Amino acid sequence: MKKYLLLLSIPFVIFSCRKDNLVEGPNIDDLLGEFGITEAFKADRDTVNFANGENVLFTAKFNKLTDWEIHITGQNSGAKKVMSGQSREINASNGTWEGSTTDLPFFKAENCDAELIIPDITDTYTESVEVRAPKTNAGFLLSDFESGVFDPGWTKFVQTGADMDWGIKNDASGSPEKNHYLNMAGTVSWDWLIGLLDFNATAYGANTFPLSSNADNEYFNCLLYGEAGNNESVILFQFKEDENSDGTFNETNEDMYALEVRVNWEGWQLVSVKYSDLTALENGQPATPKGNGVHNPDKLGIVSVLDLADPAQGFASTRIDYLIFTQNNALQP
Amino acid sequence: MKRKSTYGLLVLLAISLGTVAQSKKKVSFVGGARSLMTNNQLLVTDSLPDTTSVKRNSGGYALIDLGVNIKPNDNTEILGMFRIKNDYGGFWGAGVNFDVRQLWLKGIIAKKVRYQIGDINLKQTPFTLYNHQADRLDDLPEVFGMQSRVVDYEKFYRRNTWRQQGANVDFALNFSKYVKEVNFNGYMLRLGASNFASIPDRLMGGATVGVQITDDLYVGYNRASVFDVKGTVADSNTFHNNVNTINAKYTKAINKNTLTVRAEAGKSLSCQTFDTLAPELTDYFINASASFEVPKIKTTFTLGYLNVGPDFRSIGAQSKAINYGNRPVLYGRYTNAQAARSLSLLDVIADDGLYNRSINPQMAQYNQGYNIVMPFGMATFNRNGIYARVAHKTENYSVRAETYLLSEIRGMGTTALRNMAQHKLNASVNLNNYLKTKNKFKMHAGLNIQTSKRTGASLGNVDFKRNIITAGLQYELFKNMEILGGLTMLSAKGTEFTEDRNDYEEVTYFNQTNYDNQQRLLGGGLKYNFTDKIYLSAYYQSIQNQLANQADYTINQFGILYNMTF
Repeated sequence: MKKYLLLLSIPFVIFSCRKDNLVEGPNIDDLLGEFGITEAFKADRDTVNFANGENVLFTAKFNKLTDWEIHITGQNSGAKKVMSGQSREINASNGTWEGSTTDLPFFKAENCDAELIIPDITDTYTESVEVRAPKTNAGFLLSDFESGVFDPGWTKFVQTGADMDWGIKNDASGSPEKNHYLNMAGTVSWDWLIGLLDFNATAYGANTFPLSSNADNEYFNCLLYGEAGNNESVILFQFKEDENSDGTFNETNEDMYALEVRVNWEGWQLVSVKYSDLTALENGQPATPKGNGVHNPDKLGIVSVLDLADPAQGFASTRIDYLIFTQNNALQP
Repeated sequence: MKRKSTYGLLVLLAISLGTVAQSKKKVSFVGGARSLMTNNQLLVTDSLPDTTSVKRNSGGYALIDLGVNIKPNDNTEILGMFRIKNDYGGFWGAGVNFDVRQLWLKGIIAKKVRYQIGDINLKQTPFTLYNHQADRLDDLPEVFGMQSRVVDYEKFYRRNTWRQQGANVDFALNFSKYVKEVNFNGYMLRLGASNFASIPDRLMGGATVGVQITDDLYVGYNRASVFDVKGTVADSNTFHNNVNTINAKYTKAINKNTLTVRAEAGKSLSCQTFDTLAPELTDYFINASASFEVPKIKTTFTLGYLNVGPDFRSIGAQSKAINYGNRPVLYGRYTNAQAARSLSLLDVIADDGLYNRSINPQMAQYNQGYNIVMPFGMATFNRNGIYARVAHKTENYSVRAETYLLSEIRGMGTTALRNMAQHKLNASVNLNNYLKTKNKFKMHAGLNIQTSKRTGASLGNVDFKRNIITAGLQYELFKNMEILGGLTMLSAKGTEFTEDRNDYEEVTYFNQTNYDNQQRLLGGGLKYNFTDKIYLSAYYQSIQNQLANQADYTINQFGILYNMTF
């Protein structure tokens, strides 16, 4: 009898302990409880110099797990930064603003309004921060056109079409970054090309741009503006490599990669591409590179920007600004 | 085309039968036939008069299941069963369906190993492979029980088995020393077929090794494993659910009484191989009980302990027979807004379209209004507590009482735990024994109470109660002619929470639900028993369903049911 009882008790011994979680699923009080703010929404500073590496820390505490958003809006630029989360607390881990932008344009030196938004809560929680200097971005800047003139080392060609307005504009309210941008507008009824601009590396003091050899680490970025109601602009970026390091690009035996962007949106938008994702194009179709077939950003000698539009569709207009190469990641504006 | 191929099959079957008959092998016919005609009426109580739903409905069907049981030799048996079904009102041919209802082959290899392939009815233990029928109502009055048995027949529900397709083998070894006998049973089933894109082949394999150590002591090992077959889709991620258990039974005579101790304990693992987001769930269960049978007072007492971990997962034991996601065949939508009609007792008892024929690999929905305490039967996870049963039976009457006192092991959305209870009381009386009449006169009544309570959880407090009361009578007017009556009432009232789960079955949200549901199912009818297996019945039943957040409704049904099995 004893041995049988011993046998029967074996399973109880084997399974005698359980590693328990105390609770499964979301906290019911968080789901059903009435929202309350236990520590007021505030910013840790009134002024900030992002260019010096300063940040703004927003903080608040809630009585329950809460979905929240902070909307920061530039009073002059209209730039907008949105931070969001689901937490009981806004702190350094989720409420730090380092000057970046969610909706273009970039923030400028300006006063900004920060608003904490809680869904289904009508109360408003606001703070103000003065940006003394906007954030700067690491990378190699091809141009932000802030000099107001074309660099003599660049190569420019513009058709003599109708209503041509192809040049650098000084327009603080319309520029996504600082005050200037390149306006590209006009009607060319006989050709897709309206104008082009070559950024030659020689204009920057070398035969190639100062990029690394790792095409997976290099990103090309720029800001493009689309206008409603006009003929759709097509911006063709060409990346011409000087593979034999002779100081010139030979299109018959050296690689030229390209990126074609159809500007079919309204307003400013960031365009970013990893260098290794660029492809060779021929008449808009993927083609075999003419050179070694290897992406060599360190041998990039010319970046061409071609402003194109269907000649049968009339006036086309777009803008470009802030052409920059960044490393490791696409531009975080 | 379908009919042509069916005719072809029938011709082939006839030729085969002829051949078999000529060779004097044993051939027998099995099957059944049924005819059901109903006339239904829907009444809706809504703030806006329901002018869009069709209120009257009549229909029915006639079917015959014709099975041919062939024994080509002493060691082999084959069964093929066809079904011909004709919906009333369907034009000849248009409403007729031909189906293969079941097909299996079984036999004995070398007079030692039994095998069966094709359709198989299987069960192991309540925690490995078992059809708990957790929401089926106990001891239904015969006027409703007839319809409930039609569901059982349609879905092959027999003694808690699941009908599956696959193969099964079993054999036994006898020993002269140490142990008396070792039984082995193994099976392999196909739960789901690959679509060659995203759904892999899913199989279930299992085994039971039972050792009869002495006449009094049995110890068994059980394994049930559900797994995806790698390579049947491009995605190499596969799902596994393994359950291993040990069960034992010990019987001891004490004077003229008998003590029986049963226990089962085991562990489960549920995981996916490469999906890093999928949780790996592992947990255990223990179920142990002791029964004491006292013949002198014709009573058996049982006391048990149950502990099923919150992460215990067993697809074979936690599949539900009823699928609450299905819509009822009768009046699926009602009211001016054509809202989906909530299921009623009538649907749960009689609508076979709500029930699963085989195991469902996904966690089934459950309906708190019908069963909140143990929606997956004894295998319901996250339960811990004790239970007790008393059964007393004489020639004149029988009484059974059962109580489960359980609590959660892990809080759902709060650290406070729900306390749950289920109390059942069923009694039946053979009144003809007291009245000294020859005509059968049987009455029975049942009560099933479930409660769920959680306190100290602030907004998560719970207070819910569900009662089911049944009463029925069966009186033999004259030989083989019975008059039937029945009443079943359900009330569900209080506050509870239902959980939303994601694809990984993790709880993502809790919905607070306030129940206030009253149902009353009343029925009466006549039944003529031609034999034990053949009867004709005419019945009338009415379900009233009062709901908290939906329009109340009443469905009245008159039906004629003819049923036979052979």
